[in-house]
Amino acid sequence: MRLLRIAKEGAQALAANKVRTFFMMAGTIVGIAALTVIMAIGKGTERKVMQRVEAFGPRAIALIAGGGKDLPPPDMNITTLRLEDAQAVIEQIEGLEIVSPQAWRFNMDLKHETNQIQAVVWGVEPNWHDAWNWYPVEGDGIASDDVATMARVCVIGSSVKRDLFAGADPVGQTLYVNKVALTVKGVLEHKGTGPVAALDFDSRIIVPITTAMRRIMNVDYVGAIRIVSKDTALMPKQVEAIRALIHERHHITPPQEDDFRLITPTVIGELARGTSRTLSLLLGALAGLSLLVGGVVLMNILLISVAERTKEIGLRRAVGATQRDVFLQFLTESLAVTFLGMLLGTALGWGISVVLSKVSPMPVVVSWEPFALAAVFALLVGTFFGVQPARRAAKLSPVEALR
Amino acid sequence: MIELEGIEKTYTSGDVSTPVLKGVSFGIGPGEFVAIMGASGTGKSTLMNILGCLDKPTAGHYRLDGIDMVHLEDDELSHLRNHKIGFVFQQFHLLQRTAALKNVMLPLIYADEYPDDAEDRAAEALATVGLSDRLDYSPSQLSGGQQQRVAIARALINDPSIILADEPTGNLDSKSGAEVLAIFQRLHGQGRTIVVVTHDRDVADHAGRIIVMEDGRIAEEISVATPRDAEEELKSLANGEDSE
Repeated sequence: MRLLRIAKEGAQALAANKVRTFFMMAGTIVGIAALTVIMAIGKGTERKVMQRVEAFGPRAIALIAGGGKDLPPPDMNITTLRLEDAQAVIEQIEGLEIVSPQAWRFNMDLKHETNQIQAVVWGVEPNWHDAWNWYPVEGDGIASDDVATMARVCVIGSSVKRDLFAGADPVGQTLYVNKVALTVKGVLEHKGTGPVAALDFDSRIIVPITTAMRRIMNVDYVGAIRIVSKDTALMPKQVEAIRALIHERHHITPPQEDDFRLITPTVIGELARGTSRTLSLLLGALAGLSLLVGGVVLMNILLISVAERTKEIGLRRAVGATQRDVFLQFLTESLAVTFLGMLLGTALGWGISVVLSKVSPMPVVVSWEPFALAAVFALLVGTFFGVQPARRAAKLSPVEALR
Repeated sequence: MIELEGIEKTYTSGDVSTPVLKGVSFGIGPGEFVAIMGASGTGKSTLMNILGCLDKPTAGHYRLDGIDMVHLEDDELSHLRNHKIGFVFQQFHLLQRTAALKNVMLPLIYADEYPDDAEDRAAEALATVGLSDRLDYSPSQLSGGQQQRVAIARALINDPSIILADEPTGNLDSKSGAEVLAIFQRLHGQGRTIVVVTHDRDVADHAGRIIVMEDGRIAEEISVATPRDAEEELKSLANGEDSE
C-alpha cells in the first residue's frame, strides 16, 4: 500500500522530532482532556439528577413549611402550614393522586425496656405509604381508624427494630416517645441511606398524624404536604395553582415573601446539578480554546516544518513523490499528531476524572463516549489545521525546493 | 535513449523574459558517460533540471526512452523520475536522522510496486558503493564522501535508465571526489548511462564525451579519446600520501 508507506514516512518524521511533536500535540492534549472531564461530569451529573428525581418521585410535589429556595432541612417551627391547607388542595386542585400532610420531629428519644435510641418521629396519614411507595414488611401500616381515633400505635423503621428491639419481633411490643406509649403495628421495608446527606431513612417511626400532633408534639400545624400528581404533564399548572391557593389562604401577596416552598422534580434536578453546569461551561470554553489555539500552533509548527524541510520535500519529489504523496505525508503528520494528542488527552482526562471523583463531591462517571467524541474532534482539528501546510508542501516546485 | 531537440527555456518575471536555453539539441546513447560542462549562468543547471524531468522546457522536445516528457502531467513526470532517473546532488540531499539503508530505500516508497526484497536491494546497492558496513549509519555519522556514495546507492535502487549527477564532487575533497568518480566509471563499465553536470574540466575529463554549454547553447562537443581514470588517480593520491 502506497498510502501506508507514505503515512509511515510521516510517522517517522514525527518520531525523529519528539520535542517538536510534543509541542504540536500540547493543545490537543489539553483540549481533549478538558472535553473528557466535561463529559464525565456531565454524565455523572445526569445520573445524580436521575437518582435524586427517582428518589423524590417523578410526579411528586412537596409543599414545605417555611420560605426560601433551598431544599429542607424542614423547619418544624414554622406554624403556618396546616391540615386545612392540605384539605383545600385536595378539594380545589384537580388531577392529583395523593395529598399527604406530615409532621415530624428529629432526634426524639425512643425507649423500650432498658433500650433507648434517638430517631425521627413522623406523623402521617394512611396514604403516606402510597405517597412514598413505602410499605410494612411485617405487621400493618397506618390505617384510617388510627388517624381518626388518635391511636397510640406506630410503624417502625428497620434500624429502630435492630437498635431498639435488638432485632427481635417488635410487632405488639410497646415503645415510649415523650412518655407516650405506642404499640408497634409493623416494620417498614428497609430503605437504606438517602442520596442527600448520609441520612439513615430507616431510623424512624411513623405514627398517625393526629397522634403525632396532639399527643406527642402538641402542635396544630404540619411540616410538609406531599402531593403526587396523576400526570407529569399536568404538574406545571398544578404547581402554580397550589402556589396561588396557598398565597390566598396565607394572605400573601407577592412580592411579600412566601412562608412555604414548592419543591418539584425540576427543582430537585436543578439542585442536584448545582455548580457542575458552571464548571462544564468553563471547561467547555477551555476545551474549545485549547483545541483552537492548539490547532493554530500545530498549523504554524507544520508551516515552519514545511519551510525547514524544503530540501527534503524537493528530494522526495525528485525521487518520484507526486504532489499528492507529499500532501498526504504532511496531512498524515498532522492527523497522527492530533490522534496521538487525543489518546494522551483522553488518558489525562480519565485520570483527572478519577481523581476528581475521589477528592471532590462532583459526580463523575467515566465512560467511553468521550473517546468517540475526542476522536471526531482530533480528526477535525488535524484535518482543518493540517490541510494548509500540507498543500503548501505539495505545491513546492521541486526545482526551487532543491536549490 | 535521450534525445533533445531544440530545447528552449525562458523564465518570465512580470514583463521581463530571460531566455536561459536557446535551442539545445543533442542525444545520449545507452551506456554513455557524458559530462555537461559550463560556467555558472550558462544554463547547465536548467538543462540538468529538464534532463531530470524536474522542469519542462518552454519549447522543444525531450524524449527519454522514447517518451516525450513535454506532454506529461506533473504526476506522470513524478512517475518517470521514479523509475527512469537516478539523481545524485552536490549537497547529497540525504534524510537526516535516517539510516543509510532507509535513505537508499526512499525511491521505492514512491514506486508502483514496493518490492518484498526492498531491504536486500538497498543493502546490495550500498555494497556496490562499498558501504556494506555502514547500513545503519545516519548521515551525520558518515563522511561527505560516504554520504555521496549513499546518494549514489539511492540513485541505483530503482535500476534507472540514466544516472544524473549535478556537481557530484563539488562538496568533496579530492580523494572523496576521485572515489565518487571511480564509482561512476565502474558503473559506466557495467553499462550504466551516466550524465554528470559540472563546471570543472578535471571532472568532465572522466567522461567519454563532454558537452560544453555557453550562453544557453552548446558551444562545443568534445569526444574524450582517453578519459582520466579515477582509479589510477586514487592510487597516485595514496602513493603521494605514502611518500610524504
